[in-house]
Amino acid sequence: MRVDLEERVALVTGAAGTIGRAIARRLSENGARVVVADIDPGGAENYAATLSNAIAVTIDISSLESTEAGVREIIERCGRLDILVNNAGVNTLAHRVTMDAFPPEEWERITRVDLDGLYFMSRAALQPMLAGGKGGRIINIASVVGLAAMRLQSPFVGAKAGIVHLTRSMALELGPQGVLTNAIAPGSIMSEGTRALFYGADGKFAGRTAEFMQHLPLGRPGTADEIAEVALFLASPGASYINGQVLAVDGGWTAGYMM
Amino acid sequence: MEIDLKNVLVALTGDHNPVAAEVVDALRSNGAALGDLSSVLPDILVVSLPLLPRDGYDPQPLLQIARTAASRMVARGKGRIVFLASAMAVMPMRRHPGFSVAMADMFATVRTLAMECGPTVLVNAVGVGAVGDPLVAGDAAMLSHASVKRSGTVREVTDTLLFFCDPLNTYTTGQMLLVDGGWSAGYGRNF
Repeated sequence: MRVDLEERVALVTGAAGTIGRAIARRLSENGARVVVADIDPGGAENYAATLSNAIAVTIDISSLESTEAGVREIIERCGRLDILVNNAGVNTLAHRVTMDAFPPEEWERITRVDLDGLYFMSRAALQPMLAGGKGGRIINIASVVGLAAMRLQSPFVGAKAGIVHLTRSMALELGPQGVLTNAIAPGSIMSEGTRALFYGADGKFAGRTAEFMQHLPLGRPGTADEIAEVALFLASPGASYINGQVLAVDGGWTAGYMM
Repeated sequence: MEIDLKNVLVALTGDHNPVAAEVVDALRSNGAALGDLSSVLPDILVVSLPLLPRDGYDPQPLLQIARTAASRMVARGKGRIVFLASAMAVMPMRRHPGFSVAMADMFATVRTLAMECGPTVLVNAVGVGAVGDPLVAGDAAMLSHASVKRSGTVREVTDTLLFFCDPLNTYTTGQMLLVDGGWSAGYGRNF
Protein backbone atom coordinates (compact mmCIF):
# COMPACT_ATOMS: atom_id res chain seq x y z
CA MET A 1 0.00 0.00 0.00
CA ARG A 2 0.94 3.60 -0.39
CA VAL A 3 -0.10 6.09 2.30
CA ASP A 4 0.77 9.68 3.08
CA LEU A 5 2.90 10.09 6.21
CA GLU A 6 4.60 13.31 5.13
CA GLU A 7 5.23 15.68 8.06
CA ARG A 8 4.83 12.81 10.55
CA VAL A 9 7.54 11.81 12.97
CA ALA A 10 7.49 8.12 13.84
CA LEU A 11 9.43 6.50 16.68
CA VAL A 12 10.10 2.78 16.35
CA THR A 13 11.68 1.02 19.33
CA GLY A 14 13.80 -2.05 18.88
CA ALA A 15 14.39 -0.73 15.39
CA ALA A 16 17.73 -2.45 14.95
CA GLY A 17 15.98 -5.81 15.13
CA THR A 18 14.31 -7.74 12.34
CA ILE A 19 10.71 -6.58 12.73
CA GLY A 20 11.67 -3.08 13.87
CA ARG A 21 13.84 -2.55 10.81
CA ALA A 22 11.03 -3.59 8.49
CA ILE A 23 8.51 -1.30 10.18
CA ALA A 24 10.93 1.64 10.17
CA ARG A 25 11.61 1.14 6.48
CA ARG A 26 7.94 1.01 5.45
CA LEU A 27 7.13 4.14 7.47
CA SER A 28 10.11 5.89 5.90
CA GLU A 29 9.15 4.81 2.38
CA ASN A 30 5.77 6.41 2.93
CA GLY A 31 7.12 9.78 3.91
CA ALA A 32 7.51 9.67 7.68
CA ARG A 33 10.58 11.03 9.39
CA VAL A 34 11.61 7.92 11.30
CA VAL A 35 13.40 7.72 14.61
CA VAL A 36 15.31 4.46 14.69
CA ALA A 37 15.50 3.76 18.41
CA ASP A 38 17.36 0.87 19.92
CA ILE A 39 19.35 -0.07 23.00
CA ASP A 40 22.20 -0.81 20.59
CA PRO A 41 23.60 2.57 19.43
CA GLY A 42 25.61 1.08 16.58
CA GLY A 43 22.70 -0.94 15.29
CA ALA A 44 20.43 2.10 15.34
CA GLU A 45 23.00 4.33 13.63
CA ASN A 46 23.76 1.80 10.94
CA TYR A 47 20.14 1.17 10.09
CA ALA A 48 19.09 4.83 10.20
CA ALA A 49 21.82 5.53 7.68
CA THR A 50 20.06 3.25 5.19
CA LEU A 51 16.79 5.21 5.34
CA SER A 52 15.97 8.61 3.96
CA ASN A 53 15.26 11.31 6.52
CA ALA A 54 15.81 9.06 9.54
CA ILE A 55 17.71 9.62 12.77
CA ALA A 56 19.07 7.20 15.34
CA VAL A 57 18.39 7.57 19.05
CA THR A 58 19.61 5.23 21.77
CA ILE A 59 16.78 4.20 24.08
CA ASP A 60 16.64 1.48 26.71
CA ILE A 61 12.91 1.10 27.23
CA SER A 62 13.42 -0.70 30.55
CA SER A 63 14.61 2.63 31.96
CA LEU A 64 12.13 5.45 32.55
CA GLU A 65 15.01 7.93 32.44
CA SER A 66 16.23 6.61 29.11
CA THR A 67 12.78 6.84 27.52
CA GLU A 68 12.33 10.40 28.75
CA ALA A 69 15.79 11.43 27.57
CA GLY A 70 15.12 9.80 24.20
CA VAL A 71 11.87 11.70 23.73
CA ARG A 72 13.58 14.97 24.71
CA GLU A 73 16.20 14.32 22.06
CA ILE A 74 13.53 13.55 19.46
CA ILE A 75 11.68 16.77 20.18
CA GLU A 76 14.94 18.75 20.01
CA ARG A 77 15.89 17.22 16.68
CA CYS A 78 12.51 16.65 15.02
CA GLY A 79 10.19 19.07 16.81
CA ARG A 80 7.28 16.68 17.23
CA LEU A 81 6.23 13.08 17.69
CA ASP A 82 3.18 11.61 15.96
CA ILE A 83 3.57 7.85 15.84
CA LEU A 84 5.01 5.44 18.39
CA VAL A 85 5.61 1.81 17.50
CA ASN A 86 6.28 -0.10 20.70
CA ASN A 87 8.22 -2.89 19.07
CA ALA A 88 11.15 -3.55 21.40
CA GLY A 89 10.85 -6.74 23.38
CA VAL A 90 12.78 -9.73 24.66
CA ASN A 91 12.14 -13.39 25.33
CA THR A 92 14.32 -16.21 26.54
CA LEU A 93 16.09 -18.93 24.63
CA ALA A 94 18.01 -20.38 27.53
CA HIS A 95 15.20 -20.87 30.03
CA ARG A 96 12.46 -22.84 28.27
CA VAL A 97 11.10 -24.28 31.49
CA THR A 98 7.79 -24.41 33.33
CA MET A 99 6.82 -21.65 35.69
CA ASP A 100 7.77 -23.53 38.88
CA ALA A 101 11.35 -23.64 37.62
CA PHE A 102 11.48 -20.25 35.94
CA PRO A 103 14.39 -18.15 37.30
CA PRO A 104 13.11 -15.02 39.07
CA GLU A 105 15.84 -12.82 37.64
CA GLU A 106 14.91 -13.89 34.12
CA TRP A 107 11.24 -13.19 34.88
CA GLU A 108 12.22 -9.73 36.04
CA ARG A 109 14.36 -9.06 32.97
CA ILE A 110 11.63 -10.06 30.51
CA THR A 111 8.66 -8.37 32.15
CA ARG A 112 10.76 -5.27 32.81
CA VAL A 113 11.36 -4.81 29.10
CA ASP A 114 8.19 -6.24 27.57
CA LEU A 115 5.55 -4.77 29.88
CA ASP A 116 7.15 -2.10 32.08
CA GLY A 117 9.16 -0.86 29.12
CA LEU A 118 6.08 -0.39 26.99
CA TYR A 119 4.58 1.68 29.79
CA PHE A 120 7.73 3.78 30.24
CA MET A 121 8.04 4.43 26.51
CA SER A 122 4.37 5.23 26.03
CA ARG A 123 4.32 7.53 29.06
CA ALA A 124 7.28 9.48 27.76
CA ALA A 125 5.99 9.68 24.17
CA LEU A 126 2.53 10.79 25.25
CA GLN A 127 3.85 14.02 26.77
CA PRO A 128 4.59 15.72 23.43
CA MET A 129 1.77 13.88 21.62
CA LEU A 130 -0.87 15.18 23.98
CA ALA A 131 0.73 18.61 24.37
CA GLY A 132 0.80 19.00 20.59
CA GLY A 133 -2.97 18.67 20.49
CA LYS A 134 -2.94 16.92 17.14
CA GLY A 135 -3.39 13.41 18.45
CA GLY A 136 -1.20 10.52 17.49
CA ARG A 137 -0.93 6.82 16.98
CA ILE A 138 0.48 4.12 19.22
CA ILE A 139 1.03 0.67 17.77
CA ASN A 140 1.93 -2.00 20.28
CA ILE A 141 3.66 -5.13 19.04
CA ALA A 142 2.13 -7.87 21.15
CA SER A 143 2.24 -11.56 20.21
CA VAL A 144 -0.11 -14.44 19.52
CA VAL A 145 1.05 -15.86 22.85
CA GLY A 146 -0.79 -12.95 24.44
CA LEU A 147 -3.98 -14.27 22.81
CA ALA A 148 -3.41 -18.03 22.97
CA ALA A 149 -1.19 -19.16 25.83
CA MET A 150 1.89 -21.25 25.13
CA ARG A 151 4.10 -23.26 27.40
CA LEU A 152 7.63 -22.64 28.64
CA GLN A 153 7.77 -18.85 28.35
CA SER A 154 5.53 -17.66 31.15
CA PRO A 155 6.89 -14.10 31.58
CA PHE A 156 6.65 -13.46 27.84
CA VAL A 157 3.11 -14.88 27.75
CA GLY A 158 2.07 -12.80 30.75
CA ALA A 159 3.66 -9.60 29.46
CA LYS A 160 2.16 -9.96 25.98
CA ALA A 161 -1.30 -10.69 27.38
CA GLY A 162 -0.82 -7.56 29.46
CA ILE A 163 0.00 -5.59 26.33
CA VAL A 164 -3.13 -6.91 24.60
CA HIS A 165 -5.42 -5.67 27.34
CA LEU A 166 -3.39 -2.53 28.01
CA THR A 167 -3.93 -1.64 24.34
CA ARG A 168 -7.66 -1.55 25.02
CA SER A 169 -7.42 0.56 28.16
CA MET A 170 -5.04 2.95 26.40
CA ALA A 171 -7.61 3.23 23.60
CA LEU A 172 -10.32 4.12 26.08
CA GLU A 173 -8.17 6.65 27.92
CA LEU A 174 -6.45 8.29 24.98
CA GLY A 175 -9.09 8.09 22.24
CA PRO A 176 -10.92 11.21 23.40
CA GLN A 177 -7.64 13.11 23.05
CA GLY A 178 -7.09 11.90 19.51
CA VAL A 179 -4.43 9.32 20.24
CA LEU A 180 -5.41 5.96 18.78
CA THR A 181 -3.89 2.81 20.22
CA ASN A 182 -3.89 -0.56 18.49
CA ALA A 183 -1.81 -3.70 18.59
CA ILE A 184 -0.44 -6.26 16.23
CA ALA A 185 -0.09 -9.80 17.51
CA PRO A 186 2.52 -11.42 15.27
CA GLY A 187 2.62 -15.16 14.99
CA SER A 188 5.82 -17.03 14.27
CA ILE A 189 7.93 -14.53 12.37
CA MET A 190 11.24 -15.37 10.79
CA SER A 191 13.42 -13.19 13.02
CA GLU A 192 16.84 -14.03 14.40
CA GLY A 193 15.25 -15.36 17.61
CA THR A 194 12.68 -17.66 16.04
CA ARG A 195 15.21 -18.83 13.49
CA ALA A 196 17.50 -19.89 16.30
CA LEU A 197 14.70 -21.53 18.26
CA PHE A 198 12.73 -23.31 15.58
CA TYR A 199 14.31 -23.20 12.22
CA GLY A 200 18.01 -23.69 12.89
CA ALA A 201 19.54 -27.16 12.90
CA ASP A 202 20.66 -26.75 16.52
CA GLY A 203 17.58 -24.88 17.75
CA LYS A 204 15.82 -26.07 20.86
CA PHE A 205 12.75 -27.09 18.84
CA ALA A 206 14.60 -28.02 15.65
CA GLY A 207 13.02 -31.00 13.95
CA ARG A 208 9.55 -30.08 15.18
CA THR A 209 8.97 -27.34 12.63
CA ALA A 210 6.64 -29.42 10.46
CA GLU A 211 4.58 -30.39 13.50
CA PHE A 212 4.31 -26.75 14.50
CA MET A 213 3.31 -25.63 11.00
CA GLN A 214 0.27 -27.93 11.10
CA HIS A 215 -1.31 -25.41 13.46
CA LEU A 216 -1.02 -22.63 10.88
CA PRO A 217 -3.53 -22.44 8.02
CA LEU A 218 -0.88 -20.73 5.93
CA GLY A 219 1.63 -23.43 6.85
CA ARG A 220 4.67 -21.19 7.06
CA PRO A 221 6.27 -18.61 9.33
CA GLY A 222 5.63 -14.99 8.48
CA THR A 223 8.12 -12.37 7.44
CA ALA A 224 8.98 -9.07 9.06
CA ASP A 225 7.71 -7.30 5.94
CA GLU A 226 4.29 -8.84 6.48
CA ILE A 227 4.16 -7.35 9.97
CA ALA A 228 5.45 -4.01 8.71
CA GLU A 229 2.67 -3.70 6.15
CA VAL A 230 0.06 -3.98 8.90
CA ALA A 231 1.89 -1.46 11.08
CA LEU A 232 1.97 0.91 8.13
CA PHE A 233 -1.80 0.66 7.76
CA LEU A 234 -2.45 1.25 11.46
CA ALA A 235 -0.21 4.35 11.27
CA SER A 236 -1.96 5.65 8.15
CA PRO A 237 -4.61 8.36 7.87
CA GLY A 238 -7.11 5.74 6.66
CA ALA A 239 -7.03 3.89 9.98
CA SER A 240 -8.45 6.87 11.84
CA TYR A 241 -11.52 5.09 13.25
CA ILE A 242 -9.67 1.98 14.42
CA ASN A 243 -8.95 2.09 18.14
CA GLY A 244 -8.31 -0.59 20.74
CA GLN A 245 -7.96 -3.35 18.18
CA VAL A 246 -5.56 -6.27 18.42
CA LEU A 247 -4.98 -7.72 14.99
CA ALA A 248 -3.30 -11.11 14.86
CA VAL A 249 -0.95 -11.36 11.90
CA ASP A 250 -0.25 -14.99 12.34
CA GLY A 251 -1.07 -16.95 9.21
CA GLY A 252 -4.39 -17.90 10.80
CA TRP A 253 -2.84 -19.51 13.88
CA THR A 254 -5.47 -18.03 16.22
CA ALA A 255 -8.40 -18.44 13.81
CA GLY A 256 -9.31 -21.69 15.51
CA TYR A 257 -8.30 -25.23 16.31
CA MET A 258 -6.68 -26.89 13.31
CA MET A 259 -6.38 -30.43 14.55
CA MET B 1 -4.42 5.20 0.68
CA GLU B 2 -3.57 3.39 -2.52
CA ILE B 3 -3.11 -0.27 -3.26
CA ASP B 4 -2.24 -1.91 -6.52
CA LEU B 5 -5.20 -3.89 -7.85
CA LYS B 6 -4.23 -3.68 -11.48
CA ASN B 7 -5.29 -6.87 -13.28
CA VAL B 8 -7.24 -7.99 -10.21
CA LEU B 9 -10.83 -9.09 -10.71
CA VAL B 10 -13.16 -8.29 -7.82
CA ALA B 11 -16.80 -9.13 -7.21
CA LEU B 12 -19.15 -7.96 -4.48
CA THR B 13 -22.08 -10.09 -3.45
CA GLY B 14 -24.79 -9.62 -0.86
CA ASP B 15 -26.30 -6.50 0.64
CA HIS B 16 -26.40 -3.29 -1.33
CA ASN B 17 -25.95 -0.32 0.95
CA PRO B 18 -24.10 3.02 0.89
CA VAL B 19 -20.91 1.52 2.33
CA ALA B 20 -20.87 -1.34 -0.17
CA ALA B 21 -21.33 1.15 -2.99
CA GLU B 22 -18.30 3.14 -1.82
CA VAL B 23 -16.32 -0.08 -1.50
CA VAL B 24 -16.97 -0.83 -5.15
CA ASP B 25 -15.83 2.67 -6.13
CA ALA B 26 -12.68 2.37 -3.98
CA LEU B 27 -11.76 -0.99 -5.48
CA ARG B 28 -12.29 0.35 -8.96
CA SER B 29 -10.26 3.50 -8.34
CA ASN B 30 -7.37 1.33 -7.15
CA GLY B 31 -7.28 -0.47 -10.47
CA ALA B 32 -9.56 -3.47 -9.90
CA ALA B 33 -11.90 -4.75 -12.57
CA LEU B 34 -15.39 -5.52 -11.30
CA GLY B 35 -17.06 -8.78 -12.22
CA ASP B 36 -20.25 -10.63 -11.43
CA LEU B 37 -19.93 -13.70 -9.23
CA SER B 38 -22.66 -15.43 -11.23
CA SER B 39 -20.44 -15.52 -14.29
CA VAL B 40 -16.82 -15.37 -13.05
CA LEU B 41 -14.77 -16.50 -10.09
CA PRO B 42 -13.05 -13.31 -8.94
CA ASP B 43 -9.59 -12.94 -7.45
CA ILE B 44 -11.17 -11.12 -4.51
CA LEU B 45 -14.75 -11.63 -3.34
CA VAL B 46 -16.33 -9.03 -1.06
CA VAL B 47 -19.23 -10.51 0.89
CA SER B 48 -21.50 -7.68 1.96
CA LEU B 49 -23.80 -8.20 4.95
CA PRO B 50 -26.30 -5.62 6.22
CA LEU B 51 -24.62 -2.99 8.38
CA LEU B 52 -27.75 -1.54 9.98
CA PRO B 53 -29.46 -3.92 12.43
CA ARG B 54 -32.18 -5.88 10.65
CA ASP B 55 -34.62 -8.08 12.56
CA GLY B 56 -34.95 -11.57 11.19
CA TYR B 57 -31.89 -11.36 8.98
CA ASP B 58 -30.72 -14.83 7.94
CA PRO B 59 -27.08 -14.84 6.84
CA GLN B 60 -27.05 -18.48 5.77
CA PRO B 61 -27.82 -18.05 2.04
CA LEU B 62 -25.03 -15.49 1.71
CA LEU B 63 -22.60 -17.52 3.80
CA GLN B 64 -23.30 -20.52 1.59
CA ILE B 65 -22.44 -18.45 -1.46
CA ALA B 66 -19.16 -17.52 0.24
CA ARG B 67 -18.40 -21.15 1.08
CA THR B 68 -19.01 -22.22 -2.49
CA ALA B 69 -16.78 -19.45 -3.84
CA ALA B 70 -14.09 -20.36 -1.31
CA SER B 71 -14.11 -23.99 -2.47
CA ARG B 72 -13.73 -22.91 -6.06
CA MET B 73 -10.88 -20.56 -5.11
CA VAL B 74 -9.10 -23.40 -3.29
CA ALA B 75 -9.52 -25.60 -6.37
CA ARG B 76 -8.09 -22.80 -8.50
CA GLY B 77 -5.21 -22.27 -6.07
CA LYS B 78 -5.63 -18.64 -5.07
CA GLY B 79 -8.11 -16.07 -3.87
CA ARG B 80 -9.24 -13.75 -1.14
CA ILE B 81 -12.56 -13.25 0.56
CA VAL B 82 -13.31 -10.17 2.64
CA PHE B 83 -16.54 -9.92 4.58
CA LEU B 84 -18.10 -6.53 5.22
CA ALA B 85 -20.20 -6.90 8.35
CA SER B 86 -21.23 -5.34 11.64
CA ALA B 87 -19.00 -5.02 14.69
CA MET B 88 -21.82 -6.71 16.60
CA ALA B 89 -20.15 -9.96 15.52
CA VAL B 90 -17.86 -9.70 18.53
CA MET B 91 -19.91 -7.48 20.84
CA PRO B 92 -23.59 -8.45 20.83
CA MET B 93 -26.16 -5.78 21.58
CA ARG B 94 -29.12 -6.57 23.84
CA ARG B 95 -31.57 -4.78 21.59
CA HIS B 96 -30.39 -6.63 18.49
CA PRO B 97 -30.07 -10.27 19.56
CA GLY B 98 -30.93 -11.93 16.25
CA PHE B 99 -28.71 -9.59 14.26
CA SER B 100 -25.84 -10.09 16.72
CA VAL B 101 -26.14 -13.86 16.38
CA ALA B 102 -26.20 -13.56 12.58
CA MET B 103 -22.99 -11.52 12.68
CA ALA B 104 -21.32 -13.98 15.06
CA ASP B 105 -22.28 -16.69 12.58
CA MET B 106 -20.51 -14.69 9.89
CA PHE B 107 -17.34 -14.39 11.99
CA ALA B 108 -17.27 -18.11 12.80
CA THR B 109 -17.56 -18.68 9.06
CA VAL B 110 -14.60 -16.36 8.45
CA ARG B 111 -12.47 -18.29 10.92
CA THR B 112 -13.40 -21.75 9.77
CA LEU B 113 -13.03 -20.83 6.11
CA ALA B 114 -9.59 -19.40 6.86
CA MET B 115 -8.56 -22.72 8.36
CA GLU B 116 -10.16 -24.77 5.59
CA CYS B 117 -8.89 -22.68 2.70
CA GLY B 118 -5.30 -21.89 3.63
CA PRO B 119 -2.67 -21.54 2.51
CA THR B 120 -3.88 -20.38 -0.89
CA VAL B 121 -7.01 -18.44 0.07
CA LEU B 122 -7.10 -15.70 2.69
CA VAL B 123 -10.37 -14.93 4.49
CA ASN B 124 -10.88 -11.85 6.67
CA ALA B 125 -13.57 -9.42 7.76
CA VAL B 126 -14.13 -5.75 8.42
CA GLY B 127 -16.44 -5.16 11.38
CA VAL B 128 -18.19 -1.84 11.11
CA GLY B 129 -19.38 0.23 14.05
CA ALA B 130 -21.41 3.42 13.98
CA VAL B 131 -20.67 5.03 10.63
CA GLY B 132 -22.17 8.03 8.87
CA ASP B 133 -24.35 10.94 9.87
CA PRO B 134 -27.13 9.91 9.58
CA LEU B 135 -25.94 6.41 10.34
CA VAL B 136 -25.43 3.99 7.47
CA ALA B 137 -24.00 1.34 9.79
CA GLY B 138 -24.33 0.38 13.43
CA ASP B 139 -26.56 1.78 16.13
CA ALA B 140 -26.62 5.26 17.64
CA ALA B 141 -26.07 3.73 21.09
CA MET B 142 -22.55 2.79 19.99
CA LEU B 143 -21.57 6.43 19.90
CA SER B 144 -21.79 6.91 23.66
CA HIS B 145 -19.22 4.16 24.15
CA ALA B 146 -16.88 4.91 21.25
CA SER B 147 -13.78 6.52 22.73
CA VAL B 148 -13.23 8.37 19.46
CA LYS B 149 -16.02 10.82 20.05
CA ARG B 150 -17.70 10.71 16.68
CA SER B 151 -19.18 8.33 14.17
CA GLY B 152 -16.88 6.89 11.55
CA THR B 153 -16.80 7.83 7.90
CA VAL B 154 -17.47 5.54 4.99
CA ARG B 155 -13.94 6.28 3.76
CA GLU B 156 -12.53 4.87 6.99
CA VAL B 157 -14.38 1.63 6.29
CA THR B 158 -13.35 1.41 2.65
CA ASP B 159 -9.68 2.01 3.50
CA THR B 160 -9.81 -0.88 5.97
CA LEU B 161 -11.37 -3.12 3.37
CA LEU B 162 -8.64 -2.11 0.92
CA PHE B 163 -6.09 -3.08 3.57
CA PHE B 164 -7.37 -6.66 3.46
CA CYS B 165 -7.24 -6.59 -0.34
CA ASP B 166 -3.68 -5.24 -0.41
CA PRO B 167 -1.40 -7.63 -2.32
CA LEU B 168 1.29 -6.84 0.28
CA ASN B 169 -0.92 -7.93 3.19
CA THR B 170 -0.22 -11.64 2.96
CA TYR B 171 0.02 -13.15 6.45
CA THR B 172 -3.36 -12.09 7.84
CA THR B 173 -6.19 -14.62 7.67
CA GLY B 174 -9.12 -15.56 9.86
CA GLN B 175 -9.20 -12.10 11.38
CA MET B 176 -11.74 -9.35 11.76
CA LEU B 177 -10.62 -5.76 12.16
CA LEU B 178 -13.22 -3.52 13.72
CA VAL B 179 -13.71 0.03 12.49
CA ASP B 180 -15.66 1.22 15.48
CA GLY B 181 -13.77 4.06 17.13
CA GLY B 182 -12.96 1.89 20.14
CA TRP B 183 -16.56 0.86 20.86
CA SER B 184 -15.71 -2.81 21.34
CA ALA B 185 -12.51 -2.18 23.31
CA GLY B 186 -14.36 -1.71 26.55
CA TYR B 187 -16.93 0.45 28.15
CA GLY B 188 -15.82 4.01 27.79
CA ARG B 189 -17.41 5.35 30.88
CA ASN B 190 -15.54 7.47 33.36
CA PHE B 191 -14.73 4.59 35.67
